Amino acid sequence: MTAMERYTGTPKLMVPAFGLGVVGLVLTAVGFFMNPEATAFSYLLGFTYWVGISVAALIMLAIFHTAKAKWLIVLRRAMETMAITVPVFAVLILAFIPLMKYLYPWIDGSPLAAHIHGIEVEHLHHKKEHYLNGGFFAVRQAIYFAVWIFVSHRLYSWSTKQDEAGGLDLTVKQRRFSPGALPFLALTITFAAFDWLMSLTPLWQSTIFGVYYFAGSFLAAFCLLTIITVQAQGKDLYGSLVKVPHFHNLGKLIFAFTAFWAYIGFSQFLLVWIANIPEEAPWYGLRMYGSWRSMSIAIFFLHFVLPFFTLLSRKLKEKPRLLAVAAVYMLLMHAVDLYWLIWPAFSGEAGPTFHWTLITAFVGVGGVAVGFALFRARNKYTFPVKDPYIAESLRYVQP
Amino acid sequence: MEAKVLDSWVMAEFATPEALVSATQQMREKGFQGMDTYSPYPLHGGSEALGLPPSRVPFIALGGGLTGMVTALTMQTWMNTVDYPLNVGGRPLLSLPAWVPITFELSVLFAAFGIFFGLLGLSKLPQPYHPAFESEEFRSASTHGFWLSIPHPTGTDAADVKNQLTALGATHVTVVSGENE
Repeated sequence: MTAMERYTGTPKLMVPAFGLGVVGLVLTAVGFFMNPEATAFSYLLGFTYWVGISVAALIMLAIFHTAKAKWLIVLRRAMETMAITVPVFAVLILAFIPLMKYLYPWIDGSPLAAHIHGIEVEHLHHKKEHYLNGGFFAVRQAIYFAVWIFVSHRLYSWSTKQDEAGGLDLTVKQRRFSPGALPFLALTITFAAFDWLMSLTPLWQSTIFGVYYFAGSFLAAFCLLTIITVQAQGKDLYGSLVKVPHFHNLGKLIFAFTAFWAYIGFSQFLLVWIANIPEEAPWYGLRMYGSWRSMSIAIFFLHFVLPFFTLLSRKLKEKPRLLAVAAVYMLLMHAVDLYWLIWPAFSGEAGPTFHWTLITAFVGVGGVAVGFALFRARNKYTFPVKDPYIAESLRYVQP
Repeated sequence: MEAKVLDSWVMAEFATPEALVSATQQMREKGFQGMDTYSPYPLHGGSEALGLPPSRVPFIALGGGLTGMVTALTMQTWMNTVDYPLNVGGRPLLSLPAWVPITFELSVLFAAFGIFFGLLGLSKLPQPYHPAFESEEFRSASTHGFWLSIPHPTGTDAADVKNQLTALGATHVTVVSGENE
């Protein structure tokens, strides 16, 4: 076995990723001049998909530090790299400035505001103006990204500093900092989900909505981590150090968060369904009946029932290649789930329609994000080489 | 009454879990079968050293979970549509969303029953007596001792097995005999 050095192969992947991302974003910009409404919703999907994974990776990292978990240390650098990608989204969110009025009926000058009829509905909209207005929205975005960038940079810089210095004190710092950061991370992702996704339908409200977005993103982050780990084979990459018990754990986490996503999704649905009050019911009414019905049923079976019973198998979770296939499938289903959250606000009764910017925006945001992640990972070790507990992580077995 | 043939075991105590696992592994490679290990807390690598097949408990749990699910769904369907139909706020009698919590809970309960009773059944528990308890030293298995038992034909000389175990680091070796269920 050869010694693990700093990974120098990133440019080979970084350049195509950035290239693909830029092409995607340029095409999306072209789409904006052809069909601004559809493009705005497509971009929102691509943006929320990738930023969710990045923030979920950050929360996952903080949770593992809080729990003082040792088994995953060999995977930690990949997670940190996903989390450290968050600044690129602080730039990408600037595209909301021209797009917002096509997304949110509550913003001043939105063409969607024309659909708000009736004195009662107008009154309800008016009451939400203190929260839902352009200025406060911008302030909140600044707060979210400030928290995410600060936390991810603190953890990442301590971790990479440890690659040089070693020692226990940097681990202690990360473990002290993380539990303190968690409440802020939880609040920011919850309110981000309210702002980006829930306020598409301003009168609809669900306090659990943030957890729903988080659950899906968390699942996607674990899937992406699994795929990266399976693919990280080669010189100076950590993949060969990851053994079956690690993959079994990743599989268990994917399985657990598949169930968690369904649990949260159903909890949200049951309360709305059973209360059946006019402000809440239409959001589900649109999705339960008419042209969205078959898609809603399909998501229940394909995002929960099928993966649940498939991932029950221990043998599958212990086979990295098969697990990676399941992870790719779940990543796809997460995109479908976000489409199901976002698109009805655009197409309404017309049902699941397709616009080509869905693909370009998804690839554009994703390509730029992956490219930026690889840019951050260049000339770094692909796992925390001098973490005091790295040996325990490498010889981890099932308890 | 027909006299029952007594079963015998060679029992060996080891000082550390590592010594026990390594001795178990080596005795199994020598061809000894039907061995068992005893330790005060879960033993890392114990099942692998004994060469045990995968546990059947997960399948019992799955069966229990599915039984619970079917039971809950049929029970609620029958109650709400046949036995005592009740109009709640104009909702249909067959309101599946409202039945999910009960279905979930009953699936979990039956799966837990499957695990609990399945494990007891497969481990042949409760078992108030086993010949291993004939050895006074075996009490240490519940505090600090790590024990290995090897079946041995009753009445034959166990010196060879005992010597092998001592050579593998056993601190105490004894033979127990008794009636096993």
